[in-house]
Amino acid sequence: MSTIRLTVPGNLRYRGIAVRVVAEAARLVSGSAQRDPNDPLDNDVRHPFDTAVVSAFMEIFNNVAIHAYQRKDVGTIQIVITPTERELVIEIEDYGNSFDIDRVAPLPAELDELSLPEGGMGIHIAKTMLDEVTYEPGPPNLWRLSKRLPATAGIAREERS
Amino acid sequence: MATPFETKKTEDGTTLFVRGSLDINTAPALAEEIDKIVATKPSKVECDISGLDLIDSSGVAALVKLYKSVRSVGGAIKITGARDQPLAIFKLLRMDKVFNL
Repeated sequence: MSTIRLTVPGNLRYRGIAVRVVAEAARLVSGSAQRDPNDPLDNDVRHPFDTAVVSAFMEIFNNVAIHAYQRKDVGTIQIVITPTERELVIEIEDYGNSFDIDRVAPLPAELDELSLPEGGMGIHIAKTMLDEVTYEPGPPNLWRLSKRLPATAGIAREERS
Repeated sequence: MATPFETKKTEDGTTLFVRGSLDINTAPALAEEIDKIVATKPSKVECDISGLDLIDSSGVAALVKLYKSVRSVGGAIKITGARDQPLAIFKLLRMDKVFNL
C-alpha cells in the first residue's frame, strides 16, 4: 500500500499546498481527468469524489490552524494520504490544542433568510461529505478522514481501463 | 495572492464577480469589499460566482454576510452562476434554496 506523506507548517499560508496534494491524491482514486493538463495549478475540483475529499480536508486544515495552533506560526501539520483502488484515507496530525468535536453545534433544522449561519459549518461539511471522520485528542491530535468510491463509480472505472 | 473578486457598477446596482478560491485566506478581503458595497445602500446587487472554483466555510460565511447585509439595507441580492464544488457545498448546507441557486 503506497502512502503520500506531507509535513507543512501549521499555518494557513501553507494550506494551498496541502489542498493541491490532496486534490491530486483524490484524482488517483476517482480517476477524474484534469480540466486543463497545461494548467497544473488550476483549482480543478469537479468530480463528486474529489469535491467531497477536498471540501472536507480544507475544513479540517482550517480547524487545525485556527483551533489547534490558534493562528500562530508554531508547530507542524503532518498529513499521511493513503489512496487505494476504492478508498482514500487521510490522517492529519498536529501537536496543538485539542478540539472538542462533540461541542460542535448542529446546523439549524430549518434554514431561512434569518437563520443563515455565518460560522460553525466546517465540521458539518467534513462529516457530511465523507464516509468517516474521527478525531483522537492528543498529543498528537489525530484526525482520520476516509471516503470510498460508490460501487457504480468503481464499475465505470473498470470498464474504462 | 491574486484578489479573487471585482466590483462593477451597473445602471441599477452593483455586480460583484468572485473567482478562483474563496476561502479562509481570501474571504477577509471580500468581507471588506462587502462593507464598502453595503455602505452605498445599493438597491440591487448581483454576485456572479461563475468563476468560483473552490469555496470553504469561511467563503460561505462571507457570501452569507453579503446576502444579509444587502437585505438589511433594503436591497435585492442575487447570487448567480454557482457550479461544481461551490454548488455542492451550498446544496449540502441547504443554502441553495435560500439563495435560489
